Amino acid sequence: MTIYAVERLSLRIGDAAILHDIGFEVRRGACTALVGASGSGKSMSCFAPFGLAAGKASGSARLDGAELIGLDEPALRPLRARAGFAFQQPATALSPHLTIGRQLREAVVAGGAPSPDRRALAAMLDRVGIARPDARLDSWPHRLSGGERQRVMIAAAVAHDPILLVADEPTSALDAPLRHAILDLIDRLRQDGMAVLLVSHDLPLVALHADQVAVLQAGRVVESGAARQILSRPLTAETRALVAASPSLDTPGPALPPTGAPLLAAQGIDVTVAGRGWRAPQVTLVEDASFTIAEGEALALAGRSGSGKSTLARAVARLGPMTDGELRWRGEIVPGRDRMAAGFRKAVQPVFQDPVASLDPHWTVAASIAEPLRHLCPELDAAARAARVDALLEEVELGRGFADRRPAELSGGQAQRVAIARALAAGPELILLDEATSALDVLVAGRILSLLQRLQADRNLAILMITHDLAVARSLCHRLAVMEAGKIVEQGPFDRMLSTPGHPATRHLLGT
Amino acid sequence: MKGALFLVAAIAVAALLLPPFLPWGYADIDWNAVRAAPFSSGHWLGTDSVGRDLLARTLAGTRVTLAVASAAALVALLIGTAWGAIAGWFGGRVDEAMMRVVDGLYALPFMFVVIVLMVVFGRSILLVFLGIGAVEWLTMARVVRGQVLALRHRPFILASEAAGAPTGAILRGHLLPNVAPVAIAYLMLTIPQVVMVESFLSFLGLGVQEPLTSLGILVHDGADDMDIAPLTLLVPGAVLVALVVALNRIGEGLRQRLAR
Amino acid sequence: MRAILLRRLATAIPTLFAVVLASFFLMRAAPGSPFDAERPLDAATRAALDHAYGLDRPLLEQLGRYLANLAQGDFGPSLVYKDFTVTALIAQGLPISLMLGGLALAVALMTGVSGGIAGALRPGGWSDRAVDFAASLAVALPGFVTGPVLALIFALWLNWLPVAGLNGPASLILPVIALALPVAGAVAKLTRTGLSETLAQDHVRTARARGLSPFAVLWRHALAPALIPVVSYLAPAAAGLLTGAVVIETVFGLPGLGRYFVQGALNRDYPLVMGVVILYAGLILFFNLIADLLYGLLDPRARG
Repeated sequence: MTIYAVERLSLRIGDAAILHDIGFEVRRGACTALVGASGSGKSMSCFAPFGLAAGKASGSARLDGAELIGLDEPALRPLRARAGFAFQQPATALSPHLTIGRQLREAVVAGGAPSPDRRALAAMLDRVGIARPDARLDSWPHRLSGGERQRVMIAAAVAHDPILLVADEPTSALDAPLRHAILDLIDRLRQDGMAVLLVSHDLPLVALHADQVAVLQAGRVVESGAARQILSRPLTAETRALVAASPSLDTPGPALPPTGAPLLAAQGIDVTVAGRGWRAPQVTLVEDASFTIAEGEALALAGRSGSGKSTLARAVARLGPMTDGELRWRGEIVPGRDRMAAGFRKAVQPVFQDPVASLDPHWTVAASIAEPLRHLCPELDAAARAARVDALLEEVELGRGFADRRPAELSGGQAQRVAIARALAAGPELILLDEATSALDVLVAGRILSLLQRLQADRNLAILMITHDLAVARSLCHRLAVMEAGKIVEQGPFDRMLSTPGHPATRHLLGT
Repeated sequence: MKGALFLVAAIAVAALLLPPFLPWGYADIDWNAVRAAPFSSGHWLGTDSVGRDLLARTLAGTRVTLAVASAAALVALLIGTAWGAIAGWFGGRVDEAMMRVVDGLYALPFMFVVIVLMVVFGRSILLVFLGIGAVEWLTMARVVRGQVLALRHRPFILASEAAGAPTGAILRGHLLPNVAPVAIAYLMLTIPQVVMVESFLSFLGLGVQEPLTSLGILVHDGADDMDIAPLTLLVPGAVLVALVVALNRIGEGLRQRLAR
Repeated sequence: MRAILLRRLATAIPTLFAVVLASFFLMRAAPGSPFDAERPLDAATRAALDHAYGLDRPLLEQLGRYLANLAQGDFGPSLVYKDFTVTALIAQGLPISLMLGGLALAVALMTGVSGGIAGALRPGGWSDRAVDFAASLAVALPGFVTGPVLALIFALWLNWLPVAGLNGPASLILPVIALALPVAGAVAKLTRTGLSETLAQDHVRTARARGLSPFAVLWRHALAPALIPVVSYLAPAAAGLLTGAVVIETVFGLPGLGRYFVQGALNRDYPLVMGVVILYAGLILFFNLIADLLYGLLDPRARG
């Protein structure tokens, strides 16, 4: 039985047409997934019929037979209450000043049911797998972990037993192991007959849980059908790009370029910083970390957030504090951060996570890329620098037309390409990739990743890659080091670590 | 914002350039026209209780108010920027200690500190703007510190270090250009603040002293005489309010433009 | 919550102590004596006066005595209002100032918050533009301009309200309005900005998605986070009201604390000025404390 059917849905915001003739349906107890890159209109398609997105919708959307399109706000309200909505970013989608219990109670009452007692509320939290549910009722959202918040978000969305659950990217703020747990939870809820409309950019992941999939691009459905069929035999380029952009650890890794002589050796690195407050004790961020990187070798430094991986990498690149330990470059000791020589600066260059914040908003693209050339290659005159900048822009597939632009005129992917060009300018032998693709949209991240693969092979670059996503890391890296609580707990060849993970932290990252 | 800029420019130009062309100076007493009505005996806006030309006095008062305000705002800019930049750049305990001082000063009743200073050291125009500048720098210090602190850990500053730029080049090339617009926007918001403080002090008789005049003194004198010559209150009051509204608009406009 | 309060007190007490010390030494460092203002005194009379008020003792002894008396709530004798102690003057003036300030704060918060809400609900609409215009004007209206102008219009011209003095509630209307206007303008602007930001946030969409009425969305979900900037403004607003009251009391001839302060400052009545400054510093620190408490109520994240 069809619970929710959308036909010829279009949406205009001002003069811009955002959605064109979208159609899909969700049946009782089943899950339909809308998949696409950011900006493809997948979230808009879910929210516009319910009046929860800007703009004017036309076409048809029927919830349990009742038409939504064309209704005004007071008429839409009771229909919204028949569905349940779980938004992405639960950290901001729950009201910060109300306790979990109050928000759950409000969700039930808004759905038309009498006010539930405390036991019933605790049972709702229990149903989504929250430990100690009774105590959590009096807690505020900020006290919960990211995974718990997402569970609470879902619990509030289904508190009034809606006939349809709309879940917008319920897993995108979570790391790999939690993603499966949340999707399993949604599968369980369906067993009571609830229909689920799922929005995601991760096609391989949702295809495991959804019955039907519609792939969106630029506001249109480009492909739809049974989930398994779409994943195994994608018909359009967009779908294939989406499959490729979310690499999976189940498929064999790519062939990587060969490695050479030892390049960088870090031995017993410690980083401690002063605690916050006057007499707070020192905080140890990294403790006794050792690793080596050879010419042309890529090492992935993985761990959950706060494990110290970024701090360690910055210490090694002499861009952050280092308290103790020894760092050698081709056997020679590297001096401290404040006594850096041009030689080492030239050899190691960073690329950061947030591409927009990586570029000074006042500087042109050409000036940013030329910055390392001015300081590290003083032998070049202005003309030679300009020629280098043009060549670098070509190398990162932007073209010299970008030279005079400013960061505000660049997309995220373009800005990250500029940051990569700047890192390559002085001809480094090792680049530090600090979560360099994780702030980007899924398709853009995929393209940046293949650019990095090409540069790795062309320039015989050594790479130190900081990441929380092992699948992304494997497409570049020979070896993997796993960090937890400031220590490297396990390291070795990538495939060996995948097949026989030793430490619990490694297994956690693998989601097993 | 365009209208506000035009208004401020017009008031400033009139206050600076017009007085020499008026038939009466701001301190000249016309014994034949005490409390004259507007447009009588060559006084366009009339005269005050001792026969001084209201237009000339208002323009002179505006000039003093604007001069004191600009000077005091500059004092606030210098102290605030230096304090905030040092705290933000060095961070950690330096930051904490410096910001505690600012917090402590924030808790003081500003105006009373200035008044006490005036009482203790006598009333001089230098002290007026030093005193005002010295208490108005606190917000500037907070804003600049926040900005520097945010910039300090921006990846582009780190990338600049990785590019081998010496600290001086990072400060000049990256930090200053990114802090300056915000500091200037807050400077523009500080000026109306200072205009109010100066007028307040002068109104109480603690600011600028005779024979100099300022908008605050004029409002005070006008208030004493308002039952007979209401314009002596309304004209300087209107100029003061118009100036503050327009300056606020400019400052807010600049800040919003930066936020985008 | 308790940790925040303790930390606040840990800064408040040294600050208050620093205020006492600074004002004490400033006053003693001042050139001239409080008795200069009157006719020149012969040396003997002057010495007798200095002795009577303890001004001939060593500075540290004077400080010690002042602090000891202060601890018992005794601010010393007024040098100008002979036969009055500063404490008595404060006891006389404070209730009037507190009533004036309290009423003005209440009026400012009510009009400011409701104006800000009216503006934020229809961004760009006529109510928004009207509120924005009124608020921009109000923040630029200092009490020493609005006070006399309001008195001119409503007392002298229209003869509706008393022009000065304290006789009955009607005589408080103009002073309260003049005092409240700039604060109301600032509160309206803060509420307008805070609320329009909050209304665009995700958790408000969540509340709407539950099918709640617009009123419930505004009241339960949007208003509390939107008022956080207003609460942060509370302490500066209190300071602004106290200073504004100085002028308003002078303009409207109300026998409040502010008028004593101005008289004291003009006459170099050190104990009186010091007493009022210390009291005001204490009041502002107290408002900081209240603001912190409210802050924790509106945003549980601030409770740590």
